[in-house]
Amino acid sequence: MSDELPLEVLPPSGDDPRGSSRSEFVARAVLAGGTLAAGGAVVAALPRLAASAPSPAQDQKILNFALQLEYIEAAFYAEAFAKGKFSGDLREYVSVVRRHEQAHVAFLKRALGSKARKEPEFSFGDATSDPRKFTAAAISLEENVIAAYNGQAANLTKATLAAAAKIVSVEARHAGWIRAIANKNPAPAATDQPKTAAEVQAYVNRTGFVRSS
Amino acid sequence: MARDEQELQPRSDLTLGELDRDGAILEAVEQVSGETRAAFLGKAAVGGAALLGALAAPPIGQASAASDVAILNYALTLEYLQAAFYTETERLDAVGGELKRVPRQLGAVERAHVAAIKKALGRAAVKRPAFNFRGVTEDQSKFLKTAVAFEDLGAAAYKAQAARIKSPALLAAAISIHSVEARHAAWMRFLAGVTPAAAAFDEGKPISEVRAIVASTHFVVARPKTRARKKPKYGG
Repeated sequence: MSDELPLEVLPPSGDDPRGSSRSEFVARAVLAGGTLAAGGAVVAALPRLAASAPSPAQDQKILNFALQLEYIEAAFYAEAFAKGKFSGDLREYVSVVRRHEQAHVAFLKRALGSKARKEPEFSFGDATSDPRKFTAAAISLEENVIAAYNGQAANLTKATLAAAAKIVSVEARHAGWIRAIANKNPAPAATDQPKTAAEVQAYVNRTGFVRSS
Repeated sequence: MARDEQELQPRSDLTLGELDRDGAILEAVEQVSGETRAAFLGKAAVGGAALLGALAAPPIGQASAASDVAILNYALTLEYLQAAFYTETERLDAVGGELKRVPRQLGAVERAHVAAIKKALGRAAVKRPAFNFRGVTEDQSKFLKTAVAFEDLGAAAYKAQAARIKSPALLAAAISIHSVEARHAAWMRFLAGVTPAAAAFDEGKPISEVRAIVASTHFVVARPKTRARKKPKYGG
C-alpha cells in the first residue's frame, strides 16, 4: 500500500493469525460509532468486522482516533500550565506531562502526514484552573486514553503496535502519578480494561471539552 | 464455549467465580487494603480478572504458537519474582508509613498475574524458582528502590514482547497487564521522589537485557534441596 506509516518497523513477525473474537470486539465500536456527534465520523471509520485485518490503512484510522485524544490531553495540560494556578506536586505534574502529550501529538501527526486530522477547538472551563476539577479531569482523561490504546492493540499492525505500546505505558504512568497525588490507589485493578472507540468517544462527548472538530 | 470471545469484550458478564475456580485471585484480593472484598470485586477485580481470564481460556497449550508459550513463560518468571518480592516484604512487615500498603496491594496484583498466567499455561508453566532477596525486603529504602526497578523492568519487558504475540486474545491480556506495571512504576517512583514519567516514550527491553538485569540481582537462587510436600497456595 502506498500509505505506509513512517513508524519504527520491527522485523517481520510472520503470520498474523486472528480470530472472530477481535472482529466482534471491533464491531462494537463500529455499531455505536455512527450515532455520535463530534468525532463520530472517525469512530465510524474505525475497523470493520471480519475484513478488519490489521493494515496500514486501518492503522491510519486508529492513529487518527488516538490523535484526537492526544490533542485533548495536550491542550488541556498546555492551558493548565499557561494559567499557572497550581503549586507543588500538581504544578510539577502539569509541567512534565504537558511536554509528553505534545510529543505524542507531534509523533502521531508525523506518522499520519497529510492524513492527520486537524486540531479541534477546546473549552476546558475551570478544569484547568481549579485543582480539584483539574485532578478529576486529568484522571478520567488518562484512564480513558489508556483504555482506548489497550482496546485497539490487537487491531494494529505489529510495527504500529510496537510504537503505540511506547505511548500507552507513559499514559499509564501519568494515571498512576496523578492518582498518587490525589491519594487514590494508582493501580486499583490487576489489568487495565480496554474500551471500544465508541465508549471512549462517548466519554469525550460527555466532557464537553471539544467544541468543534 | 467461546469464552475467549466474550472475554475480549470490555463489558464482560463473567463472574470472578467462573474465572477463579481455585480461588487464587480471590485470596490475593482479600489481602488488598482499604477495600472490602465485596467492594473490590464489584469494582476492580472483576474488570481485571475478566481480562486475565482471557489468558486462561482456552488453555494456551492447545493450538497455540510455541512462541506465545515461550513469551508467557518469560512473563511468568518476572511475575514470580515480583510476587515473591512483595509477598515476602508484607510477611516481614518491614516497611511502614506511606509504604505500608504497597507490598499488600502490589503483592495482590502480582499474585493475580502469576495465577492467571500459570492457569493459562497449564502443564507448560515453568516452575517457580527459589528466591533470596538479600535483605531488600527488610529495609524500607532498599525495598522502594527495588520496587522501582522491578516495575520499570516489568513494563519494559511486556512492551518488548507485545508485537511478538500472535494470539489476539493473549495480546489483549498482556497489553492490559503492561499498563498496570507502568502504573506501579509511576507510583513507586512518586514515593521514591523521582519523576514518575521520565520520558514521552517508554522503551521496551529485549529478553536478553531483562535476563541480564535479573541475573545481576542474584535474587534467583538454586532450588532448595528439600522440597515442601505441598505446593504453596499461590506462587507469591
